[in-house]
Amino acid sequence: MKKNHFSFPQASRRDLLRAAIYGVGVSAAAMPMPMFAQAAAALAAQGKRDGKILVVLELSGGNDGLNTLVPYGDDAYYRLRPNLGIPRNEVRKIDDHFGFSHGMAGFERLYKNGKLAIVHGCGYDNPSFSHFTSMAYWHTAAPNSGEEYGWVGRVADAIAPQAPPNFLVNIGARQSLAVRSQKHVPVVFDDPNKFSQEKFFDEREILDSVPDDRSVDNPSRRFLLDTARSAKDASALVREAWSKYHSPVDYGITGLDLPKVAALIEARMPTRLYYTSYRNNAFDTHVFQADVHKRLLTYASDAVSAFLLDLERIGRADDVVVMIFSEFGRRVPENVNLGTDHGTANLMFVVGNQVKGGQYGKAPSLTQLDAGDNLIHTTDFRRVYATMIAGWLGYHDTRPLLNGDFEAFDLFQQRKV
Amino acid sequence: MAATWQNDLTPIGPADWNYDFAAHLLERAGFGATPDEIANLAKLTPARAVARLVRFEGTDASNLPPFDHSGVHDPGLEPFPPSRPAVTDMAKEKGEALGIKVKPSGNRRLQPIVDEFFYWLRASALETNRVAYWWANRMVASPRPLQEKVALFWHGHFASNEAKVRDYRKLLGQLELFEQQGTGNFRDLTVAVAQDPAMLTFLDAGVNVKGASNENFAREIMELFTMGVGHYTEKDIREAARAFTGWNYVDLKFVVNKDQHDDGEKTFLGKTGHFDGVDVINIIMEQPATADFIAGKIYRFFVRQQLSPELQKQLGTVLRDGNYEIKPLLEKIFLSRDFYCPASVGTQIKSPVELAISTYRKLGQKSVPGVPDFNLATGALGQQLFSPPTVAGWAGGQSWITPGLLLERGNFARDVLFPDISFLPPDRFTGGGEIRRVADRVRQGMDISTATMDDGKTGVRAESNLNADRDEDFNTRYGSFRGSQMAVERVKPISRDTAQIRLAKMVLSADLKNTTQVVDYMVHRFMRVPPSDSTRRKLVAFLDKELGTPDISIARTYMEEPLRLLLHLIMSQPEYQLS
Repeated sequence: MKKNHFSFPQASRRDLLRAAIYGVGVSAAAMPMPMFAQAAAALAAQGKRDGKILVVLELSGGNDGLNTLVPYGDDAYYRLRPNLGIPRNEVRKIDDHFGFSHGMAGFERLYKNGKLAIVHGCGYDNPSFSHFTSMAYWHTAAPNSGEEYGWVGRVADAIAPQAPPNFLVNIGARQSLAVRSQKHVPVVFDDPNKFSQEKFFDEREILDSVPDDRSVDNPSRRFLLDTARSAKDASALVREAWSKYHSPVDYGITGLDLPKVAALIEARMPTRLYYTSYRNNAFDTHVFQADVHKRLLTYASDAVSAFLLDLERIGRADDVVVMIFSEFGRRVPENVNLGTDHGTANLMFVVGNQVKGGQYGKAPSLTQLDAGDNLIHTTDFRRVYATMIAGWLGYHDTRPLLNGDFEAFDLFQQRKV
Repeated sequence: MAATWQNDLTPIGPADWNYDFAAHLLERAGFGATPDEIANLAKLTPARAVARLVRFEGTDASNLPPFDHSGVHDPGLEPFPPSRPAVTDMAKEKGEALGIKVKPSGNRRLQPIVDEFFYWLRASALETNRVAYWWANRMVASPRPLQEKVALFWHGHFASNEAKVRDYRKLLGQLELFEQQGTGNFRDLTVAVAQDPAMLTFLDAGVNVKGASNENFAREIMELFTMGVGHYTEKDIREAARAFTGWNYVDLKFVVNKDQHDDGEKTFLGKTGHFDGVDVINIIMEQPATADFIAGKIYRFFVRQQLSPELQKQLGTVLRDGNYEIKPLLEKIFLSRDFYCPASVGTQIKSPVELAISTYRKLGQKSVPGVPDFNLATGALGQQLFSPPTVAGWAGGQSWITPGLLLERGNFARDVLFPDISFLPPDRFTGGGEIRRVADRVRQGMDISTATMDDGKTGVRAESNLNADRDEDFNTRYGSFRGSQMAVERVKPISRDTAQIRLAKMVLSADLKNTTQVVDYMVHRFMRVPPSDSTRRKLVAFLDKELGTPDISIARTYMEEPLRLLLHLIMSQPEYQLS
C-alpha cells in the first residue's frame, strides 16, 4: 500500500463530523493520521468516495425457516407441527399470515420500519440434504456442479481485479469457501485482539519484513507466504480498529461477529465485502428444538438489529446491507424427537437502511410438498445473489459470475447521489 | 528422490534410504523427532523402519500411565437430560432430577438440581480438558507415535465433540477405541464406532426409533464415514435409518431396544432383507466407493492433499483386497516411492495439534508443558481435541491457515520459549465475566436476585438480555456460578510446569563453533523446508548482533536467551508450518 498523503474525501469528513456529534464516535477522529491516511488512500485508489458494503451472514446448520417466520395463518402448519408449531398468540405478527418467532423483536422492528426484506422459498433444483454439500452449493453459487471459488470471492475478483489489500474480510475461525478468490487473499481472523504477532523489540526487523515468494514452486509454501503478506497488510489496521471501538449498543448475548464488522466499518477499512457466520452448525436442530431454536433466533435477531443501530451511530447505515441465509430449511413435518430434519427451501433476509422492506417471491405451499415432505422452492437463491451484486454493489454483469441469468429483485431504494 | 516417483506405489529400496527419508517418515507417521531418533531409524532398512512404526504392538509403551480420573461423575446424572429446561420440567413433574430431590418448600426449590446440572456441564468440560492433556502427553512421549497419529486421524474422521456429548467418560472411551483398533480392521472399527455411546449421543442415534426414524446417523455414516456423497440415494438413507432404529446406550453401554427396532424389510443399496445396523455397515463395505473413499482420506491425512483418481483407485484396491485391514495400506503408503517424491515431502501444513506436539518433540520434551495451556493454545489455532467444529471434523490442509492464525502460530512458539509468568490456569480461575460478577456479589452478601441482575447498558435492550431471570423456582445464573464452583472443587488440577528448554546445551553438545553453524543446525533440526537464503542471512546477522560475536566459544555463558529469540524467529517463519 502506498503511503501518499491524500486529502480526505468529502464524505469521510462529513461522516467524521456526524460521528463526533453522536458523542461516541470519536474513534475515527482519534485515529492517528498515517493509518487513517492509508485507509483513505486505499479508498481513493478504488476511485470511490465510499463504497457500498455487503455483509453476508450465514446461519449454519440449516435454520428452520417455518419456525422463524411462522405461517400462523396456515392450518397446515399446525397440522404438520402439532408439538413444534408456535401458537398464534406467541407469534410476532407482521401481517395476517406471517409472524416472527417470539424472541425476534429486533426483526419485527426492522420489518415494521421498512428495513427488512424477506425473500420467500429460496432454494435450487435437486437439493442436497447434506450440510456440507448444500453449504458448498450456497458458498459457490453452483448447485450440483463443481466450482473452485466462492461466490463472494468471485465478486471481489470481478469488481476489484487489482485486488487491493483488505477488500474482502471473513471473520471466523476458518476461511469460508464462499470467500475463496482467485485474485484476493481474504483477510480472515477471529479474535481481533489476537490478530497480531507479538514480538520482542530486536525481532521486529525480521518479523516485519514481507517474505518473497518468487521462485517458490512448493504450492503449500507459496500459499503460506501469500497469507503472511496478507496478514502483515491487515493485522495492524484490524487491531487498531477494534481497540478504538467502544459501542454503547447492546448486541445481546452473543452479538455474533457483527461488532467486529462495525468496528472495521467505523475505522473506514476499505473493505467492501464481509463474510461472517453463526457458527458450528448451530441451527442443526434435530432434537428438542423449541427452546434452543428460539434462543438462536433471539440472539441472531438481537445481533442484526443492534448492528443496524450501531451503523446509524457510526453514520454508515446508508452504505451497508446485510444478507442472511442458511444452507437449507428443515423438513415441514416435525420428527418424533421434537425436532426437525434437513429440508429444502428457506427464507433469505436482506436488511439495511437502503432496503425496500417487505416480502419478495412466493411462499412455498405447505400442502404441496415433494416426495420427502419438503417445501418446493419458488426462488432460485442465486436471484438474491444477483440482487446483491447488481442492485446493491452495482456490478451488472452477473451472468458469468453466477453461471446463468438470474433476475435481480427490485429491492433497494433509489439512492440520491 | 525423483519427480517420476509421483503416483508410483513401488516400494523404495535400501539404497534409497537415508536420514532425510527417515525424518520425513517420522514427521508423517508420527509427530517429528529429535536428530538422534531420526538417525536411529535411518540405520534400519526402509522395510524395517516402516514396520517398526506400523506394527507397533511389539514396542513397549509401559511408560504411558492410564488416565487418572478425578471422580466427578455422580450416579444420579444418567440419563443426562438434553437441556436445563428439560431438567427443571422433569424435576417439577417427578419431584426429583439428577438424583436430587426438590425442596418441599421455601424459595428456589429447584436450585440444587439446577446447580447440579451446571456442575456436570462444567465438570465434564474440565475433565475432558484433562483427557486431552493425557492424550497429548501420549503423543509427545509414546514410543509408538503412529498409534497416536492414527487415533488423531480417526478423531477427525469419526468426529464427535464435548459440547454435544457432554460426558468426558464417553469421549475417553471413544479415544481408547481409536487407540486400540485404529490400525485394525476398518469394518470392525466402523461397527464399534456406530455402537459407541459418544457417537450415538453425538448423532442423536438414541432417538431413532421404529415408525419415526431420525436420519442424522444414517446420513453421516454414509456421507462422512464410509462412502462420500453421490453413491447412495435419499431413499437409501431412509432405509438405513430404519435399520439403525432402536440402537441406543445406557450410561456407557451400547444397547438395542428391541421394541424400538424396525425389523421390517428394507431395500438398501440394491439389496433387500430384514437388515439391522450391522447388516447395513456390511453392505456399505461391499461398495467399491467405500474402500476408495477411506483409502483416499487416509492418504490425504498422511501424505498430501492432491490425489489423482487413478492413485486413489489403486489405494482403494489395496484396502479392499486386504479385507479392510488398515496396517497393510499404511505400510504400502509409507514404503512407496510416491510418499518420498517432491510433491509429498515438505508440502503438508501441520495441524495445530501436530504443530504443538512436533514442537515439543523436536525440543526433546518428555511431557506437554502446562504453560502455555495445550488446549487453549491449539484451540486458538483452530484444533482443540474433543472439539471438532462439526461432524465433518477438521477440514485440514490450507484451511488450517488464515492470516490471523498464521500470526497466532508465531505467538504459540513465543509462549513456549518465553512462558507467560502471569498465566492464570483456566481450570482454576473460572473465566466468564458473568460468573465472576455473580461470585463477587454473592460474597459481598447480596441476595441472589440482585447478585444475578444484569449490568444495565444504555439504549435499546436486547431481547435475550431481558429474558434472563424469569422462573422463580430457581436462578439460572446462580446455578451457573455455583456449578462452576463445585466443578473446580472436584476436578483435579492440571500441572502447570513450563517447558524445560536448554538451547545453549543443545548448541554445545552439537559442537557448533559459530553463528552460521548454529542457524543451520537450528533450521535443520526444526524445519523440513528451509527459509529463503535472504532470511537465513538475516537470522545469522540477528544472532551475531544479539551475541555480540559470531564466535560461540565467547558467547557460551550468556547465549540462552539470544538462542531462544533465534528459535522464535525460526518458528515464526511461514515454512515452519510445513511438515
